[in-house]
Amino acid sequence: MRRRAATFGKYALLAVFLLFFLFPLYWLVLTSVKTQAEQFASPPVWWPRSFTTDYYAGLFQSTTGWLAFNSLLVAAGSTLVALAAGTLAAYALSRFRLPWRLNQRLGHWILSTRMFPPIVSIVPLFLIMRGLDLVDTRAALVAAYSVFNLPFVVWMMKGFFDELPRELEEAALVDGDSRFGAFRRIILPLVRPGLAATAIFCMIVAWNEFLFALILTQTEGALTLPVGIANQVTQYEIRWGAMSAAGVVAMTPMFVFALAVQRHLVRGLSFGAVKG
Amino acid sequence: MEPQRAKSVTRSVQWREKAFPYALLAPALLLLAALTVYPFFYILHTSVHRLTPAGETFVGAQNFLRLLGDPFFYRAAVQTLVFTASALTLEFALGLALALLLDSQIRGRALWRALLLLPMILPPVVAGVTWRLIYNPGFGPLNGALRLLGLDTRRLTWLADPIVALASVVLVDVWEWTPFVFLILLAGLQAIPEEPYEAARIDGSSPWQTFRHVTLPLLLPALLVALLLRTMDLVRLFDSVFILTQGGPGFATETLSLYIYKTAFRFYDFGYAAAASLALLVVTGALSRLYIRFLTREERA
Repeated sequence: MRRRAATFGKYALLAVFLLFFLFPLYWLVLTSVKTQAEQFASPPVWWPRSFTTDYYAGLFQSTTGWLAFNSLLVAAGSTLVALAAGTLAAYALSRFRLPWRLNQRLGHWILSTRMFPPIVSIVPLFLIMRGLDLVDTRAALVAAYSVFNLPFVVWMMKGFFDELPRELEEAALVDGDSRFGAFRRIILPLVRPGLAATAIFCMIVAWNEFLFALILTQTEGALTLPVGIANQVTQYEIRWGAMSAAGVVAMTPMFVFALAVQRHLVRGLSFGAVKG
Repeated sequence: MEPQRAKSVTRSVQWREKAFPYALLAPALLLLAALTVYPFFYILHTSVHRLTPAGETFVGAQNFLRLLGDPFFYRAAVQTLVFTASALTLEFALGLALALLLDSQIRGRALWRALLLLPMILPPVVAGVTWRLIYNPGFGPLNGALRLLGLDTRRLTWLADPIVALASVVLVDVWEWTPFVFLILLAGLQAIPEEPYEAARIDGSSPWQTFRHVTLPLLLPALLVALLLRTMDLVRLFDSVFILTQGGPGFATETLSLYIYKTAFRFYDFGYAAAASLALLVVTGALSRLYIRFLTREERA
């Protein structure tokens, strides 16, 4: 009897947690498909009588499509750069013993750059980009996000390289491969799953980023989706339906991505400190 | 092959062998130097200047002295501290409870775990927008639900009253980031082997004793990682506050990041903003040192 009460308590507690964490998202999705009259109804309409797809259709006629395209381009571009530079560096740190304890020192220094608060780097970064005439370009964001993600790539990939036995390359070297050849032909294919997971993490971070984009972009040629959504909130009259629809569009691909890397999630979130 | 030439070939092979790791490191180090080292010196330079359209003038320590006597800076610092302390408390209490709950025998664990990811994976801007909908005093579901319970909500505005707004912003952070704490702690719990629990059972310890003397000490590394990462993120809180209140009403929810943002990009006082960012950098620098030292200890173990 007492056991059954405990089980019941457990599921009741879980239900309360799920309500708190999921109801806001239910409400966001609901607002994006409600008619305007039902959006502003009091008491609130918990389940609408009729649904509308007008707000989603409206996104295609507004600039939102462009902003999503910018976001995608910037996220993909910066991920490629961070992945290329970061993987090479991670391989060097994982496999070669450098003098003066450089392996550790460089590793720590690289990690510490990621701990730099974005607001601290954005002031000089803005002044530098202004000097280079790069404000309001996608290139500025690609550069900023690449560097932002680079330490993460180095630490994640170093973890994956460390897990591979050294004998693999030694065998290839004996067979007459060059150092780089051994890396490219033997090692790289083996870390492909780790590489994919790391890339997805970088995409999520770049796609979601707000502060840099807020300051470095101004017009629809470079604005990203989060800034576009934020601009709508700070306007005098908020168009809740359109904004919610844009929000749903911004979050859906990220959820799909997160599910794809679930196995590596804990490792990614803790920079490799906790192996999930 | 003549011995002489063979020697020089060996030497060049050796040289290439030695240079190889540095060639691999070069692109990453160059990128980091260009976009973190250079900006760091740039910010040091900016902090002792006043920037005007006409050019920059050297002002010495003036920006720093102004910072020491600036009540708005102190206010933002204290509020950042209040945000950090209260959000950490709630996130760890709830995150630990959730992790223990899902670590116990429960149906559908994988599904709940996947669903609980949502708040932390969506763009923070979307989280802010979502909660603007929830908190809306007129048509928001929060006041709507309270009215259903028979409460008078006419004077209940979640983001317009200074003290309530502070709590409302904390709640959004708790909503967004408790799942993060939960995930790390759940991984930590699942990594604990069965033997110490069995030993505790044989000794006849109560559930609380088992938790206190077995679970908690073994969970400590995961707890510390989560704690340091969350603290680091909280002291630079920006996105959700920007969307929810822009630091208002008045200055009630202004954080250090928001204060620096406004100083630089609303008032174009870059020198002063640079000085304030250096103050924030000292705090996060100390935290990141702690975190890295912690990681190294793991490496050595």
